[in-house]
Amino acid sequence: MKFDLDGLPILFPYDYIYPEQYAYMRDMKRALDQQGHCLLEMPSGTGKTVSLLSLIVAYQQYYPEKRKLIYCSRTVPEIEKALAELQRLMEYRKSQGMKEKFLGLGLTSRRNLCVHPEVSKAKWGQEVDAQCRNKTAPWVREMHKSDKEGEAANAPALCNFFEALENAEEEASMPPGVYTLEDIKEWGRENGYCPYFLSRRMIAFANVVIYSYHYLLDPKVAELVSKELSKDCIVVFDEAHNIDNVCTESLSIDITRPMLDASARSVTALSTRIDELKATNSEKLLSEYSRLVEGLRATQESRANEEFMNNPILSDDMLQEAVPGNIRRAEHFVAFLRRFIEYLKTRLRVMHVVAESSTSFLQHVKEITFIDKKPLRFCSERLGSLIRTLELTDLAEYRALQTIAAFATVVATYQKGFILILEPYENDMDTIPNPVLHLSCLDATIAIKPVFDRFKTVIITSGTLSPMELYPTLLGFTPVVVQSYQMTLTRSCFLPLTITRGSDQVAISSKFEVRNDLAVVRNYGNILIEYAKIVPDGLVCFFPSYLYMESIVTAWNDLGMLQEVLKYKLIFIETPDAAETSMALENYRMACDNGRGAVLLSVARGKVSEGVDFDHNYGRAVILFGIPYQYTESRILKARLEYLRDNSKIRENDFLTFDAMRHGAQCVGRVLRGKTDYGLMVFADKRFARADKRSKLPKWINAGMTEACVNLSTDMALAMSKKFLRSMAQPFEHNQLGVSLWDEEELRRRQEKEARKGEVSGHVDFGTTAMEGVEVAG
Amino acid sequence: MATASKPAAKVATNGATKKAAPPIDDEDSHGLMGASGQGYSWEEEYKRSWDVLQEDEQGSLVGAVNSIQMQMKRRRLNKDTKVVQRGIIRHLYLVIDLSRAMAELDLKPSRVECTLALAEQFVAEYFDQNPLSQLGVIITRDALAEKLTELSGNPTDHVDVIRKKANREPRGEPSLQNALDLARTSLAHVPAHASREILVLYASLTTCDPDNIIDTIDALRRNEIRVSVVGLSAEVQVCKTICKETKGTYRVVMNEGHFKELLFENIPPPPIAMAQNMSNLIKMGFPITRNFDPPTLCACHHKPIRKGYACPGCSSTICDIPTDCPVCALTLVSSPLLARSYHHLFPVDNYKEVIPGPPLPDVLATTATPLAGHCFACLQAFAPKAGASNAALVGLRSARYECGRCMNSFCWDCDVYVHEVLHSCPGCVNR
Repeated sequence: MKFDLDGLPILFPYDYIYPEQYAYMRDMKRALDQQGHCLLEMPSGTGKTVSLLSLIVAYQQYYPEKRKLIYCSRTVPEIEKALAELQRLMEYRKSQGMKEKFLGLGLTSRRNLCVHPEVSKAKWGQEVDAQCRNKTAPWVREMHKSDKEGEAANAPALCNFFEALENAEEEASMPPGVYTLEDIKEWGRENGYCPYFLSRRMIAFANVVIYSYHYLLDPKVAELVSKELSKDCIVVFDEAHNIDNVCTESLSIDITRPMLDASARSVTALSTRIDELKATNSEKLLSEYSRLVEGLRATQESRANEEFMNNPILSDDMLQEAVPGNIRRAEHFVAFLRRFIEYLKTRLRVMHVVAESSTSFLQHVKEITFIDKKPLRFCSERLGSLIRTLELTDLAEYRALQTIAAFATVVATYQKGFILILEPYENDMDTIPNPVLHLSCLDATIAIKPVFDRFKTVIITSGTLSPMELYPTLLGFTPVVVQSYQMTLTRSCFLPLTITRGSDQVAISSKFEVRNDLAVVRNYGNILIEYAKIVPDGLVCFFPSYLYMESIVTAWNDLGMLQEVLKYKLIFIETPDAAETSMALENYRMACDNGRGAVLLSVARGKVSEGVDFDHNYGRAVILFGIPYQYTESRILKARLEYLRDNSKIRENDFLTFDAMRHGAQCVGRVLRGKTDYGLMVFADKRFARADKRSKLPKWINAGMTEACVNLSTDMALAMSKKFLRSMAQPFEHNQLGVSLWDEEELRRRQEKEARKGEVSGHVDFGTTAMEGVEVAG
Repeated sequence: MATASKPAAKVATNGATKKAAPPIDDEDSHGLMGASGQGYSWEEEYKRSWDVLQEDEQGSLVGAVNSIQMQMKRRRLNKDTKVVQRGIIRHLYLVIDLSRAMAELDLKPSRVECTLALAEQFVAEYFDQNPLSQLGVIITRDALAEKLTELSGNPTDHVDVIRKKANREPRGEPSLQNALDLARTSLAHVPAHASREILVLYASLTTCDPDNIIDTIDALRRNEIRVSVVGLSAEVQVCKTICKETKGTYRVVMNEGHFKELLFENIPPPPIAMAQNMSNLIKMGFPITRNFDPPTLCACHHKPIRKGYACPGCSSTICDIPTDCPVCALTLVSSPLLARSYHHLFPVDNYKEVIPGPPLPDVLATTATPLAGHCFACLQAFAPKAGASNAALVGLRSARYECGRCMNSFCWDCDVYVHEVLHSCPGCVNR
């Protein structure tokens, strides 16, 4: 359908539009017009991606600036989905007679894009990366070019695809269109170009780029990929409910003993290599030295005219200076690294928990090893330069060393917002030491600040962003539009139920004090059995942690409850192992399809809760056993809470509840993927009944939660669930049109009404259902 | 609104059925269940039957109640009256799930009692409406499928077997695949002119299958067998897929009344697929009734009979029709049976509701039928016209229905009777 939104003609690839989609687009357009950031919560399964894309593409094509869209999503399947949606949209626009030169593509890791016959067979992403780098590093290629017989025999063979791309120079551009990951691979294979490097190169020319958060947030990657993006790009973070964690994680580094050992080996390798090079070709080292004296002036120049994105690791004042003298020489730098690694090794020998700020850490470093802050800051840059000079091939072996260097740089750059925690044992009960040094970022704003500073419009959107007040504080930005939308439904296709007590009226809770109480365990088990009995096909259960899941499943097994569940459904369990989990998921889906029925036991913060959809028969009900609080004894979490309290005025409890509820909402949101879908959402914990918890659920879930279903015992909940399942199984005969679906005609009528309402304020009586989700917010 | 009124009706039926049928022995209760395991009636959700009723301007409820009742009746009436080709010679297997899930008490008095009672009614009604058709019964429990009766046209056989105590005990898990496979192989030899159908009454939410059920679906589709399922608890994906693939229907019951409604929707023969839309002649025999003074053994059951039929093809003795002659395989029917199947092909058109109001008297004056103020069929006078005068009848709208062809008016009781039982319009017949 085609309609006009405040003067912007929009082509929407479906015949009907949901009212909330319309409201969503309108608010987004407002944000784009004002060139400000916005925060939008839109229920899952209401076509968020397609409305977002069709608005922004229309905006791009209509206005002369042609602002580029950077769409960031979380996982590869989500990127694929967005690309497919974009493809559909562009086909529709084409069928409507729009002649546009449009390029849309996705970017992902080498593992997903590689077409090299051998390299692409490697199983692990890192392996592919390493093999690819070995084939494409400039010095390897140089070697092949210069002399054919000598060194080239030892060096790895080149990648033909990459060579073709390099040789083609500028002509290697793709015809306009939208390429899914599979398409670009296909195109690369046909034309003999490397799809990975091709897509990286084409980013500059594309109208829409879809990739993972990390390409924008992770400083190490962002520098490579995203630094040439222009200032007026529109940046969208989809599924962004977890974005603050992504930000902090991208700057956090853990150091373990094996890593230190590996890097010590690498340092030795480096020094022998330097010696060799000195004997054969000392010029190279000399030229490197002089380059370092020159400093990073070139970088600075480019930053002055704001072409590049700020890299948080490379802070501004650092660019003013040259690399300090004591690490300019290669052998000095190697010695420096060795000393630093030795220092870290001694630190890891400490047998008690240490938590300290980066300032005190640096102080201690200086006292013991006489290493200054300044050279530490340049560590990462300097190592990169050295590796380039030494023309190393097997980069994978230097990974540990690179991490250490990054650690040094980060710790020396930021004094605020970071904490160093040394934990000698994995668990407090362990006796065998396995020390880990965490450098943990506590402040999400550090990583995301460059993004907000640089781009005029950043759109943060997800199905669950409640409570929305918290995000601007956590991420440090001021949005111009904050909005949460409700779902308009002709039948209530989801039923949230809060079970607070078992059939025997004992309160149930996953609170630490009572969670192993037999009565609670038994009542939880009964909930599972009863729901396994009445829910058809798929049933998904979430537990707060792996630990709790293990203990309660063991207890259920002892009580014979699992046997009882097995009469009705098969049981699958998520484990931390990704391969195992994906196999469990596959079989779970099969059991749901062939009528056997299945239960999936998983963890609220695990892989399943984040990226896997349980639409239709794959998830007719979700049970949340307990509130998925984080492990509050974790020292990193404690430090972060303290930091947030001191700096952002967020109370610990508020943050914990917020975090638990957003994960809870994410879990239950997994069942509902569209308006024809239906599902039960069962919150099994007495604490869910409290207003402070409920108010933190997204508005659209809260709207479905009536007073009658917030304080139920198991049997009452079951009766309601049975009735719900029966009524949902009835044929869907109501006409949605006009209520939860608008066609072109209806939309125009609404718009006219609205316009009239604007003129004669208050005279036109607006239908109550008309614009439920729309409220003016600022 | 129609569905909302059901709780009230349900309360009434509960009282009636509970007394009649003995409560089922709860052999299936196990230690873990406690008090909550089975849904006792006091654990049910509160039935707020008063919510659906709304007073009219004068504070009376009569209108609301009447309109609800009428809506229920009307809803059943508005059938599809298009003339389509239907296969009136049907072969249907009734598959009854007798798994543990049948022991649940959410349908009164229990799922199994309710289902089997309805199944008996279904069998009787099926043969009444489809005299040329045959039926067989299969049950599934303990992950097995058991054929209780072969395809036959004799309702008493089936009812007897359903009533047998041993065939009423739910246990174990059902196997949908086994049941479907058994029915499929039994239907395989059925001649091509007859339709092949399976109707499953399925209480369980799982199925315990020996193999991949998706293969069975393909086989069913190849054999052109239509599978319809009536679910007793919730929507199960695999049933939905089967019904969709084999062009059957899948419905889930809300309560006892709805169950009956859904089950009986399967009584009129379904339209046949367009693919096999070629007419061909079927050879049938019309046997003559015969009395045997010394009782003779019949060819079909080898039982001595006094009264029977002689096959016109081979003169062998048959005890009951319709059936296929066991000796020469000729289809044996009688002409009344054929005539009774005929109405499915040409159903009576739905009567149109006569809209009351001021112009009504004029209409009455112009339609020159002397009995315009009465129902044409039962001669009962219609309620006073011009509903505006009687507030209670405003909600009722109108109680007059008019045949589109003969223009006679009927009251709604007669309307129901004509469409459900008579299958021909008295007005049109009299012309």
